[in-house]
Amino acid sequence: MRENFILTRAAELDALGAFRAFIAKTCKQLGIPQQVAFELQLACDEAATNVIQHGYAGMNPGSIMLELCPTPNSITMILTDFGHPFEPVETDVPDAQALLQDQPTTGFGLYFIYSTMDDVNYYTDEQGNHLVLVKNLTKD
Amino acid sequence: MFRALRLRPEPVVTAPALQALSIEQWLGDAQYPLTIRTINSLAYDAKQRFYRTLVPPPLLGRFGINPVLWRGNGYRVELFAEADSSRVNISINNPEDENDAYFVLELQDNATNGIDLNLIVLNDPFAEKFNIEFDAEGKRTHWGTVTRNVVEEERAMRAGLAPAQVRAGMGFSRQVLEQLDVFLALCARQAVSLEPLTYVSAWIFEKRGFAYVRGHKLMDDIHHEFQPGGKLRAALDGSTPFRQPDAWKTVRGRAWAIHDGILDVIDERWRDLRMVKVVGKHAGVESFPGAIY
Repeated sequence: MRENFILTRAAELDALGAFRAFIAKTCKQLGIPQQVAFELQLACDEAATNVIQHGYAGMNPGSIMLELCPTPNSITMILTDFGHPFEPVETDVPDAQALLQDQPTTGFGLYFIYSTMDDVNYYTDEQGNHLVLVKNLTKD
Repeated sequence: MFRALRLRPEPVVTAPALQALSIEQWLGDAQYPLTIRTINSLAYDAKQRFYRTLVPPPLLGRFGINPVLWRGNGYRVELFAEADSSRVNISINNPEDENDAYFVLELQDNATNGIDLNLIVLNDPFAEKFNIEFDAEGKRTHWGTVTRNVVEEERAMRAGLAPAQVRAGMGFSRQVLEQLDVFLALCARQAVSLEPLTYVSAWIFEKRGFAYVRGHKLMDDIHHEFQPGGKLRAALDGSTPFRQPDAWKTVRGRAWAIHDGILDVIDERWRDLRMVKVVGKHAGVESFPGAIY
């Protein structure tokens, strides 16, 4: 039977540490490799920071709900918020050279998430805005 | 190319427009979300079948009300669900005074076609009633949000009530909200939203699994400022009956101080908070860890 693990915090930067600790503790409990836990933590940092900085702009921030849903072959991390929804857009791969040259550039957070997760999905429904990140636990 | 996420300029409507829903569509697709307006368009008996799921039978049993007939022991369940209305109100009132409500549950379609829980009242009929709903001139106070009857509020506080309570509660909030989940699933809905009237309300709804659309940070700030050295703690100076020095220790104590306007000292007001409950999920929010009611 699948067990879900949920942690909800106010959408503030303080939440990032709590989310990281929650991911580490849950992954350890589930016997998930440390490298996977690390990648989940980084992806969570990037995604949650985006919500904190933009999703609740102009209002007293609401909640971010972090949910980990393990299966025998994968772990799904769902970040749910109730702020302004985002919409997916096609864009160029961010310019790493510009970053190295200390020029202003954006888009690396989500690019990193796409690079490390096996599936990424974003949608809005009655339950809120959901970023769904899947990491496979078995090798291809 | 890869996909990025940018903010949408407009809110997303998460259910079909009200006019787009019909009973025919409902009959044809079990996943099609129903609105309150759609249910209200049914014949009385049909809509009563739907709305019956909202009232826990043990609550009806407390009054001696038959769960099918919705009457008994001198009480009756009142259902206001007018056709063309997007609101439903279910109540059990004092048989001698229809303005004296023991149980009220009101739901309404909202602007994004979600469902709002407008009101939930669970009053113990045998508990003393406090006249906080009317001020000294007999005008409605709207639970103390517009004007206040401070004398009655102080009596209510000393009797152990929370702000906006006219009587001690009769329990059942857990059962009513569980029934609400059942009703929402029946309607193919996935969430319900509300605006907590008081700090106590927000705390109770946290316990029942709600998260915040707006105001989670405010709740965290309130808790932080009631700690030693905090501005709210310092403002519990006994200057009014509602700002006693030990009020920070309990949910009710904090709630009365907030009702009395103590948030002024952190340049905040109790307004614009909004909460949401996802059907079947408990968010686990605890903005007052280890709280004593």
